[in-house]
Amino acid sequence: MMNLSRSVALISLFLLPLLSFSFSVDNPTDRRVLVLLDDLSLKSSHSIFFNNLKSRGFDLDFKLADDSKLALQRYGQYLFDGLIIFAPSTERLGGSLDSKSIADFVDSGRDLILSADTSASDLIRGIATECGVDFDEDSSAMVIDHTSFSVSDVDGDHTLIAADDLVKSDVILGKAKIEAPVLFRGVAHSLNPTNNLVFKVLSASPSAYSANPSSKLSSPPQLTGSAISLVSVMQARNNARVVISGSLQLFSDRLIRSGVQKAGSQNQYEKSGNEQFVTELSKWVFHERGHLKAGSLVHHRVGETDEPAIYRIKDDLEFSVEIYEWSGKSWEPYVANDVQVQFYMMSPYVLKTLSADKKGLFHTSFKVPDVYGVFQFKVEYEKLGYTTLSLSKQIPVRPYRHNEYERFIPTAYPYYGACFTTMAGFFVFSFVYLYHK
Amino acid sequence: MVKSTTKDAQDLFHSLRSTYVATPTNLKIIDLYVCFAVFTALIQVAYMALVGSFPFNSFLSGVLSCIGTAVLAVCLRIQVNKENKEFKDLAPERAFADFVLCNLVLHLVIINFLG
Repeated sequence: MMNLSRSVALISLFLLPLLSFSFSVDNPTDRRVLVLLDDLSLKSSHSIFFNNLKSRGFDLDFKLADDSKLALQRYGQYLFDGLIIFAPSTERLGGSLDSKSIADFVDSGRDLILSADTSASDLIRGIATECGVDFDEDSSAMVIDHTSFSVSDVDGDHTLIAADDLVKSDVILGKAKIEAPVLFRGVAHSLNPTNNLVFKVLSASPSAYSANPSSKLSSPPQLTGSAISLVSVMQARNNARVVISGSLQLFSDRLIRSGVQKAGSQNQYEKSGNEQFVTELSKWVFHERGHLKAGSLVHHRVGETDEPAIYRIKDDLEFSVEIYEWSGKSWEPYVANDVQVQFYMMSPYVLKTLSADKKGLFHTSFKVPDVYGVFQFKVEYEKLGYTTLSLSKQIPVRPYRHNEYERFIPTAYPYYGACFTTMAGFFVFSFVYLYHK
Repeated sequence: MVKSTTKDAQDLFHSLRSTYVATPTNLKIIDLYVCFAVFTALIQVAYMALVGSFPFNSFLSGVLSCIGTAVLAVCLRIQVNKENKEFKDLAPERAFADFVLCNLVLHLVIINFLG
C-alpha cells in the first residue's frame, strides 16, 4: 500500500516538469494540437501526414468537429497550442467552439491549419474570411486547369491539377527545392487585396479558372489565372501563423503516394511533391522554423561600455542587438544581411544596415546627427516568413554645452588678427599722440 | 563748361590740400589713426564677402573693434580741436583720458565677443 502511493508520488514528480513543457516563449514550437475532423476515417486516409506530425513530437488530439464536448480553453487557459481543422463540410462546431472562439485562438498567438474542399460550409468560409482569404462564392466550383492538370486524372475533367508555382521562400518551404509538382484537387480562393499579412504559397497557373466541372459555363468565371490561390498563409501581427488550403486531398495519403506528370511536359515523377510540401509547411506553421527572438538593444559611446543616459550631437556611438532563430530544438544565432536600425525622431535621421557576426550579434556604429531632441533606436524587421521584430529604445540628444564649442576657428584668424592689430594700433597711437614734438 | 568744372575740381582739391597742411600735427595723427582703423575694417568686410560669414560673431567683433575705435578717435579730435567753440572749456587731457578709458572698455567687450 505504502509502496504504491510512494511510487505514484515519485512518478508524478517526474512527470510534472514534462507536463509544463509546452508552447512558451522559450520554446515556441507548438506541442498540443487539436485536430477536428468531420469524418474519423480521415485519420487513416491522411495517416502519412499525421504520423509525420507525431514523429516530430506533436501530441495530436483527434476529435469530430461536432463533438459536443469540444473546448479550446478551460478556466481561461488554452488547452491546445495549435489547431488543425480538416472539416470542410461541418456547418456548426460542437462544444464551445465557433468562428469567434477560433478567431480568439489565433489572436492569442496560436497557430491554425484550415482546409476547405468541395462543398465548403459557410462556417469554414467565415473563418477563412477572418484571415483575409475569400473562397469562391459558388459552392460547387472547383479549380479547373486545362493545361496544368495531372495526366493521372481519372475523371478527365481536369480538376486534379499539378501545381508548381510555389512561393520563393526558404523559410516557408525549406531549403530543399520541391522538384515534383504538387497535386491539388479542390476549391479556389483569392486573397483580400487590402490585407498585407496574407500571401500565396501555392498559386494556380495563369490558365486555371474556378467553375463547376459538371455543368456548362454560362458566363466567364470570376476567379481566373494567377489570382487564384491554392494554398495561402497568413502571419498575424502577433506572429500567429495560419495556413488555408483549398483542398483536403492535398494532405491525403493517396495524393502523397501517387506519381505525377504534368500534361504537356515530359518529366514524370515517381512521387508528387505533396509530402515534402505539407511537411515543410507544417514545420513553418508550427514555429519550427522562421521564429526569431531578439535580445535587448545595446548602445554606448565608442570607447565606453556603459549605456549613457543622454548623448550629445555629433557623438560617435556603437549599437548592437542579438537575434536568435529557433531551429525546432534550440536557439541558433540568426544570420542575415538585411537587418537595419533607424535613429528616429518623427522620421529616421540615420538608417544603417547592421553587420552580422556568426554568433547572432548585429552591430554598427554611426555619428549622432546634428539635431537635438528625443530620439529612438528602432529595429523594425519584417521578412517574408519570419516573425516580425519591432524593438525600440528611447534616448535623448543634447546640443553643445557653452564650453564644448570649437575654440580657435581657422576661418576666423583674420578677425582675431584685426582685433589685436587694432589694440596694438591704439597703444602705439596713444604714445605717439602724447609724446610727439 | 567742362573745362570750368575740371578747373573747379582742381581748385577745390588744391584749396583742401593747402588748408590741410595748416592743421596742427596732433590732429593729423588722429586722422591717420582713423584711416588705419577704417582700412582694417574694410579689409575684414572684403574677407567676409569672400569666405562667407561662418563665425559671424568673430566677424562682428573684429569690425566693431575697428569702427568703435575710429569713432572714439573722431570724438577725441572734435574735443581737442582748438577751432571748436563748443569744447573751449574742456581740457585736452580730460578728452584723452576719456578716449583711453572708452577704448579699454571697447576692447574688453570685443575680446569677450570674439568667441
